[in-house]
Order: sequence, then C-alpha cells, then structure tokens
Amino acid sequence: MALKEEKVLVIDPDKCTGCHSCEMACSIQHFGKCHSHYSRIRIQEFREVNTFIAVTCQACENAPCIKVCPMNARIRLESGAVVTNEEKCIGCRACIYACPFGAPVINPDTGKTMSCDLCMDDEIGPWCVKACTLQQAIKFVNAQDAARAKGRDMARIIAEDYMPPQQEESEFAFSFSVD
Amino acid sequence: MSDFHGWRGQRLRLDMTNLTYEIEKLPMAYMKKWVGGRGMNTDVVYHESWAGMDPLDPQAPLCFGSGALAGTFAPLSGRTTVTAVSPMTSSVMGMDVHGHGDTNMGGAFGPAMKYAGYDQIIVKGKAKKPTWVYIYDDKVEFRDASHLWGLGSKKTTIKIVEELNDPDIRISCIGPAGENLVRFACVINNMSASGGRTGMGCVMGSKNLKAIAVGGTKPITCADPDKFKKQAWDLRDRIHTSPSAIRRRAEGSMDLFDVGNAIGINAYKNAFAGYMPRIEEVYGGMQWAEQFLFRRKGCWSCPVSCGRYTLIKEGKWAGYHCGGPEMESNCNLGCRIASYDLAGVNVLCGMANDLGLDSISAGAALSWTMECFEKGYITEEDTGGIRLEWADIEGSIKVLNMIAKREGYGDILAEGNVRVANKLGKGLDCVPHCRGLEHISVDPRITMGFSLGYAMSTRGSDHLKNYSCLEFPGCARSRAYQIDEIFGPEGAKKFWEDFPKEMTELDTKPVLCTWSEKNKCVADLVSCCCQAIGSWGGAGSWKEAYYPLFKLITGTDMTEDDLFKVAERVINTERAVWLRNGSGIQDDTHVDRFFDEGVVDGPYKGKTIDREKWAWAQQEYYKCHGWDELGFITPEKATELDIPEIIPDMEKGKEICVKWLKSDAKPTTPVFIPEAVRK
Repeated sequence: MALKEEKVLVIDPDKCTGCHSCEMACSIQHFGKCHSHYSRIRIQEFREVNTFIAVTCQACENAPCIKVCPMNARIRLESGAVVTNEEKCIGCRACIYACPFGAPVINPDTGKTMSCDLCMDDEIGPWCVKACTLQQAIKFVNAQDAARAKGRDMARIIAEDYMPPQQEESEFAFSFSVD
Repeated sequence: MSDFHGWRGQRLRLDMTNLTYEIEKLPMAYMKKWVGGRGMNTDVVYHESWAGMDPLDPQAPLCFGSGALAGTFAPLSGRTTVTAVSPMTSSVMGMDVHGHGDTNMGGAFGPAMKYAGYDQIIVKGKAKKPTWVYIYDDKVEFRDASHLWGLGSKKTTIKIVEELNDPDIRISCIGPAGENLVRFACVINNMSASGGRTGMGCVMGSKNLKAIAVGGTKPITCADPDKFKKQAWDLRDRIHTSPSAIRRRAEGSMDLFDVGNAIGINAYKNAFAGYMPRIEEVYGGMQWAEQFLFRRKGCWSCPVSCGRYTLIKEGKWAGYHCGGPEMESNCNLGCRIASYDLAGVNVLCGMANDLGLDSISAGAALSWTMECFEKGYITEEDTGGIRLEWADIEGSIKVLNMIAKREGYGDILAEGNVRVANKLGKGLDCVPHCRGLEHISVDPRITMGFSLGYAMSTRGSDHLKNYSCLEFPGCARSRAYQIDEIFGPEGAKKFWEDFPKEMTELDTKPVLCTWSEKNKCVADLVSCCCQAIGSWGGAGSWKEAYYPLFKLITGTDMTEDDLFKVAERVINTERAVWLRNGSGIQDDTHVDRFFDEGVVDGPYKGKTIDREKWAWAQQEYYKCHGWDELGFITPEKATELDIPEIIPDMEKGKEICVKWLKSDAKPTTPVFIPEAVRK
C-alpha cells in the first residue's frame, strides 16, 4: 500500500499557551465574526495548572461519526477532512456523542454540527496553524511525518542516556582550527 | 442587531448598594468621542467623581473597560483597563489629595465582557456583605461571597469556575489584600494577569466586591470582514517575523534585564542604586527559563505569549508552581531587595499575585524598610520586632503576608511608602516616587524620556503611560521613519546629531514624550498591547498597527487625526482629575535624591538629573501640550478638545495650586520644585 499523502493537524499540548488565537482565526475565517463558539477548534483550559488542550476533529481513519450519522451527513472530503453536510444534517448531535474527543461543535446559528474542514482550499492553509506560527502548538504535516516527529521526540529523550557527554563548542572549534 | 461593529454600544452599571443593575445604550457620537477602554473609563471617572472625593467613597466609580478590538482576531487584543480615583496616589501637598488611577491588565477579561455584550462595566455603591457578580449575556446575578472571602486569587478563581461549572468563564477578583483595603491591592484576572498599579483592588474591596465573573455568547462582528482579516494577518505576520517578538516569546519580558543592565538602569536596592552587578547572569530570560519555565501563558489572541508559568524544580521551594512572573515583578521583588535567590523571588511573585498585591509597590515597601534599617532610620521598635535586611526572602514572605492581612507592621506598610514615611516621620528621602506611586524598575536618572514620563504620567510614576522607547538607540535606529514623523525634518536632524547620547539628555524628550503617550494611549483605547508599538520594531506605531484594524472593524469614518485627538482628549481628562485638586507643577517632578545623588555603579556611574534642565523640560512639555506654565489645561485647549466642562474645575484647581506654591508649606517628601514657581 502506498504511503498516504494526506496532511493532518498535529497538536502539541506542551506548547499551547492558551491564547485562543486559533479559535479567533477559525471563527473569522468561516463566519467573518469572532467568538469561540463559532470556532471548530476549541481550547480546553485547565487554568489552575496552566495546561491547555486544543480539541479539534482528528479526521479518524475509521471515523465513528460517519458511521453513526443517521442522515449520512458526515462525509469525508478529498483532503481527508471529515465534515458535516449542512443540507443533510438534522442537528441530532449523534456525531458529538460518538466522537471519542467530543470534537464536532454546534454551529450557534443553525444548531447543526460542524468540524474542521482544514480551511478547504484557502491559500493560507489551515488558519489555526498559521495563527500558531510562533508557538508551534498546532502543525499541519504529512500523515506519515506526524508519527515520525513524535517518535523522534521520544527517542531523543531515550537517546540521551546513550550519548557521549556533550563537548563544549569552543573546544570543538579549537581542535579543528589549528592548521 | 445593533448598528455597532467591533464595539458593543452598551455598558453595564452595577449598583452594589441596592444589588441592582442597568444596561445603558451608548450613542455612536459617544463612542467616537471616547472610543473605548481607557477613554470611556476616563470619561466616567472624571464626570462621575468630584474634586476632593475619597477614593473609597461608596459612590466612587470603578470601571472595567475594553475597546473595539478586544476579543477579535486582531493580535494582542486581550487587554482590559481598570480605572478609578486612586487610593494609592497622593500629592506633595498632602496625603488626602488623590488623582486619576488606572491599570491595564492582560488575560481575557475584556474579551469576555465583549462577548457578554458590554464595552464597559461600571461598579458603584457598597454591598452590605461580601458579594460576587455573575454576568452572562443579559443576565446579572449578585451572589454571596462569604465562602470566598479571605481566599487568594487562585482559589477564588477555581471555586467560582467550579460553582458555575463553566471552564470558559473569565474572572477578575481581589485577594485578601483588596479585602483588607491595602492601598496597593491589585485586581487579578485569569489567575495571574494582574492590574497592579494604583490600588484598583483596594477600590474593589471597598465595595465589598470579591469578584466579577463574565461570559457570553455574542460574537463580535466586523464592518468589513474581508479587509479586516487581511489586515490582521498582515500585522500578525509582522509580529511573527519581528526578532524582538520572537525573543519576547522565548524569554518573556525578562529579556529586558540584560538590555537594562547594559545601560545600568535596573532598580537595585530600593531603586536608588541603579545598577545591579551580575544581574543578567542571574535574572536573564534564558537563565530563568532553563530553571523555572513550566509553560508559557498567553493573553487573549496573543501569538507571542510572553506570560510565564513557573515551576520550581529543586531546593527549598521545590514543587511550588504559580503564574508569572514578568520582568517588573522579578525586578521589584528581587533586584530591588538585592536578592540573587531567583527561586525565592519567584515565590514572592507568586505570593503577591495570590494575595492580590501590586508587586511593584510591595517590593518598594520591602526595600524601603530594608534601606531604612541599613541607614538606621528605623529600628525594631518602629516595626514591632520585625527586622528586614537586604535579600531577606524569608522575612519578606512574612512581611508580604502581614501587609495583605494588615497585621502589625504590615498594617503600616499597607498604606504605601509615602504615607508610611510620613506617619513614622522617618525615611522620607528613601521613597522613590512621583505622585505617591513608587517608581518601577527603570532608574529615572539615566534614560530621560522615561524619567520625564514618570513625572508627567497621569497616574503617578509609571513608564507605561509614556512608553518613550524610541529614546533607546536600538529602537530609534530601527524606526528612523518614526523619528522623522515625530520631530519633523529639522528636529530629526538634531536628534541624530546627538545620537546616541540623546538618551541621557532631556533636550528631545518633551516632544518625544508628548507623542509617545498618545501612541500608547491609542493602544489602550482599542484594548491592544502596547509592546508591539512600543519596544518592538516591525509592527510600526499606532498608525500602522492599530488604526487600520480599528477602522476596518468598526467601519467608522474617524480619520487617523481624529483617533490621535481622542488620545489627547483622554490624557487631558485624566490629568484634569489631578488638576482640579490643585496638583499641577509641584507634582510633575522627582524626589531630591535623584537630583543630588549619582548612580552608584555601571556605565552611567555618578549621573544625576540636572535641575535647570529639568525646569526647562517641564515648561517645554507643557508647551507641547498647550498647557500653561503651572501645567494647567487652558480654556482654549479644553474647548479645542471638546471638554469645555473642565474649565471651571481648572480655575478652582489653579487657585489651590497657586495658594500652596505661595505658602511655605513643605512637600510631604523632599522633591524638586523650581524656585521661580514657588514665588
């Protein structure tokens, strides 16, 4: 089987600062107005320990929301994103309770559900990702790379035990600059 | 639907005495006149208080204001201004002269107010028992706060979130310091975003108001969403690529320590020494981050997130975690008390937040005690057995607790340094302050723009009313076009001739300060962070950064000049709160020590402020504003700014001022008042 070339959102809770820029970006991109309730990505705050988790549609391979939808309104787009077809949706919210992440949100204007469409073909790409340029808490990467990057981060921690002691940079420079 | 975009066009008035509320609709003309945030607050505080008002009078208004950009996609738009007549500040004429006080806090309270549908919340009256207020859209509930009374700001926030079972609710509250009417108590929102200065927490406590919790469902609309999106991305891109913003993200505001110490301006030993040896090795942003950074913490819609969250990993306080600190807290609770124990200092910062104390004034109270002990001005007899030596963290922890609870010696310190020194009749020369508010961590003898800014600030000594960063060589170099704009071709030529020596001279400062304070004021009016247009390059000034966003979201026909005019109106009105009490030129100055005693060490060792130059700069600054020679707003200026109602107040105020100047009354602390003025 060929490697999947789809791109996916990868979230790193350790880098999230709880600034809600992604929510603001999402809501204004899709609705032209600003409020967290209009955002498809939501920051769940655990303020007392300064921990913030971004919850958004993970576009699961085997998506329960697609199966559970009685109207077949949850559909997968070519980009891999799983979205609600608002014309078919009856606002029963079954996709929310079937979703292990509680990721779909309710559109406050229509009462139907909505979830991340990866900003479709917008030239900026997913707006939440760009809004997080400095913090890098949400990235948009190839599906295969998502696993590799995370794996490498973990491996680095293990590898430190197996590495030689770090050399001082100046020492290093000296040994190679003598003619 | 309302006609307003960006703005809400309504404000909420809370009457704590009768536990009632009123939603007041605002006309477009009003919004254009005062714009929002700091502007609307200033209007209310000036017009709904009176000359000689006691700041703790139940009828004194306490305002929370947010601006047109709060809670939107515009970057750095999480700021909230809290304004009232300040219980902390005073005039050299006497302790009972109070003036305008305000404080600007980050976090997410302002955006939440906007989502609930209000540009402003005004609190008046005094509840019979501790109360907190829950606001959700049009619903307003006054709830009993007896179970929250006495709790720190962190616990209060957690309990309210639990009670409402709403993790998205935004809470502004006071700690024990505010309840006990410590004069420099602060308002804390989002656990550690504090509105510290000028004692707004004290005013909140005087109303028996423990907390305000706000949430809402109303989205903020834009007049021109497509252009607004583009403009917001444009500003975000500029911030994303600004080296200063990138550094600020990595190091927090502690990135200023090494810059500061390179020119020797940090507040060391009660802010009179001016240069702390090895400061950047201990306090520098990267050093701090390596040891203590648990995670960054961002204000609403801020891509930079200079906020920190501390986790102390080892040593005596291992396991302690808290929000903060930022540079000022670290400097004032650390360098100012001469401590090199960073973990201990962080504990002090965390405590100040939790107790609801302004970390700057709290640090000043500790360091004043320490200097007075060193000089032998006070003894254990004055302090009830407490003895504080430089760098005594354990002792400081104890005293901070005593201040917040107003116990023993803490009860004396809780009045603020000027009052303490006057009450004890000791250490009057050890208070570095303007208008009763202690200096922040920048020495006023070296960077003269900040120095003039402290003295002229409308809320007492403060750098953020007058953020004249362009005096720093790095900033000026990278933003030469702004120098041209401010000084004009002739002035700019002169500026560059003296460059970079101009930093330590007063010559260009009256003009620079007049511009800088309006620049900063625009940021407050639209509720955005002043850092992007102040210390960082890249984003430009208010004109490039915030005006376009403001115009696109509100769809207003206000021009750049109109908005700049509003900034001037706001600054004048704030000053009028002082002036009507008679506090003019005699308070626009520094304490004698900064004129007599040189900087102790560092590159500018020995530097003082020149008295003659200072007297000149005062007058030049007044001229730049179109005020008279005593610093009073002239009737022409008031008419030009469309605030003619202040004219009678100014006349009365001037009478008081002249009478005091002609008398032989001594100022409360030794300050420099030009002799020509006193005759």
